[in-house]
Amino acid sequence: MPVDSPPAPQPPLVIDTLANPGLPSDECPRRARIQLDLLLLAIEALDLGGSEAMLGTARDLGLEGLVKGRVHLWLLRGTNPMRRYSQRQPLNIEEAKALVIIICTLARRLTVVVRQLLVGYQQLADKQLSPEHHFRLADYLSRFRSHFRARMNPRRAGVIAYSSDEKLDELALELLQELLLCAGVLGPQRLWNSLFDGEVS
Amino acid sequence: MTVQRQYTLPHCNLVLEGLSADANDPLSPLAVLMNAECHLPGATDATLSGGREFLDSLVAAVSRYGQQLLSGVPYPRATGSAPPMVEIKPGDLPYHHHLIVQQQPLGDRVNDVNALPPLDIQLTTVQFYDLMEAVDQLLADTQTLPDMKAQFQAVSRRLVRPTEPMTKRATPAALGAAALAAAGLALFFVPPPEFEPTRPESEASAPAAASAVPGEPPRTDGETSEAVAADGDSLDRLESAPAITDAATIALLQSDVTQRLQEAWADVPRPSGDLAYRMAVSEDGDILGYQYENDLALEEVDNTPLPQLTFVPVAGAEPVRERVAQFVATFTPDGEVRLEPTETPAETEEPETNASETDTSKAGTSEADAAELPTLEDKVTDSDRIRELNSDLYDSILAELEPLSANEDLRFRVRLTETGEVVGYEPVNAAAGLLVNETPLPNLVTTADSTANQADFQVVFTESGVLEVNPWDGWPQ
Repeated sequence: MPVDSPPAPQPPLVIDTLANPGLPSDECPRRARIQLDLLLLAIEALDLGGSEAMLGTARDLGLEGLVKGRVHLWLLRGTNPMRRYSQRQPLNIEEAKALVIIICTLARRLTVVVRQLLVGYQQLADKQLSPEHHFRLADYLSRFRSHFRARMNPRRAGVIAYSSDEKLDELALELLQELLLCAGVLGPQRLWNSLFDGEVS
Repeated sequence: MTVQRQYTLPHCNLVLEGLSADANDPLSPLAVLMNAECHLPGATDATLSGGREFLDSLVAAVSRYGQQLLSGVPYPRATGSAPPMVEIKPGDLPYHHHLIVQQQPLGDRVNDVNALPPLDIQLTTVQFYDLMEAVDQLLADTQTLPDMKAQFQAVSRRLVRPTEPMTKRATPAALGAAALAAAGLALFFVPPPEFEPTRPESEASAPAAASAVPGEPPRTDGETSEAVAADGDSLDRLESAPAITDAATIALLQSDVTQRLQEAWADVPRPSGDLAYRMAVSEDGDILGYQYENDLALEEVDNTPLPQLTFVPVAGAEPVRERVAQFVATFTPDGEVRLEPTETPAETEEPETNASETDTSKAGTSEADAAELPTLEDKVTDSDRIRELNSDLYDSILAELEPLSANEDLRFRVRLTETGEVVGYEPVNAAAGLLVNETPLPNLVTTADSTANQADFQVVFTESGVLEVNPWDGWPQ
């Protein structure tokens, strides 16, 4: 039977589809916190109303208990140690799950755009042309760069590595690819498990 | 009934053919998978096909590689095992991926003749995503192959290859080892420090304090060897030790050691005869060594407290540098311990006193006076006279009394003739023996020998500086 209908709407308890990783503590590892925030940053660069969409998605999926409004979302994203206003407080597993669900839901909505950008980039790369020749791609990249520079602490070692435009473009394209991979049917599970690669015993 | 399930995406078409479990229900899952085909339009014209093994391998490879792309952590393949049927590797260009499929001729075993080179298909990220999505839809579909479930597992920490190369990681360790070797080489030429065991501070200071007692004649090496020569045999280790010549110190040691021996000897069976030991005692009162003087003493040595009380030095072979006093200790069958000095200090003092100043000579005689007083035979019995003597003695001592450095009471027994002349005195406690020369007593002795009737008085210089004088036998009634 061909499956051409969109996947069934997520049950309210979408969180339960993500298994707990065998971590010694209830806190997310550093790489996971960075990864989640950067993916959200890429979504914001793709979609001008991205930050509103994040809150709307959280409401739609019944995740208000975990992402309690704009400030709390900002605090959660602030657990990324690269941030200018980095929060010392940990990101716990349940909150991370909510962020994963939000990222994957938005990525699915943005699948068409992401595909277009990636195909366009591939074509430019095959012709050895720079991404500036693709209007939407250039738009995405410049927006990502300005978001990144506005919010990340330039004195952190992890941020210094992305000091040049080329490095940031590379990061933006990597995140674009990751967003595409998250957009699939099993995207949340794949993203969730990839966060703990090399962290579990 | 043969059923076909198809998962169609722009760049991937996954078709599964198999026998349905229930022929009447078109939605029933596949009981047997006969063939799986994968078309990748845009990437290759070839059709990848195979049975369940191919499909399992494809699903595993896609899952693993997808996770690797998301996390950036490479999934390590078990080394030594045969390459899986389907494998995906990152391409040389960014955002290119290689799908490598081992081809196998149908129905035949692989041999040199019919082996085919593995199929290498280059995929862009979007094409890979479509392949992954087709696989995910198959995994999520409960009506095709319900036994095929998505298996997600984060890569274990142990399997992750460190990002730094081996050479870089080994550098600090190598540097450390090299530095250690260099330091070892440099220190090889430095001579090892010579260790000399030193006595603790308290022991070292004790002889100094004792030697600060004025009136003690300066000793020479000649005298030391003389003393040792007089000693003759025995106590090899103590041979070179200088002798204590101060009579007061010896007297003090004698009473102290006697008391300790007596106490320690209280509970043991009494010997059948006298046990005589020659022993050397340090100025602190430590018994440094002993030797039996008679045969019985040798047999019974374990019944005496000497083995326990003997101070075992740190370096046994070292000759003793401390000054020692030699005694002969006698344990009698009555349970008494007698201790006698082996030599009279006065003898060794004589040559010295001649050469010394008058003060010293006075002190020398005073020391002789300070020795134990003989038991009193002709006592003064007149109570009025005793009272007078007492007040006279008090006045004469007070007239010459200077502040004392003692931190405890100094008690003396002072003997007077009936006419009020001081015949002699004897320290009662240890501090009194040490500090006798700070008191006016040595200067008060006038007649060392007197046959007249005598009386004893107790003189106490208290710690607070108060002088107390009273008759030794108590105030007369």
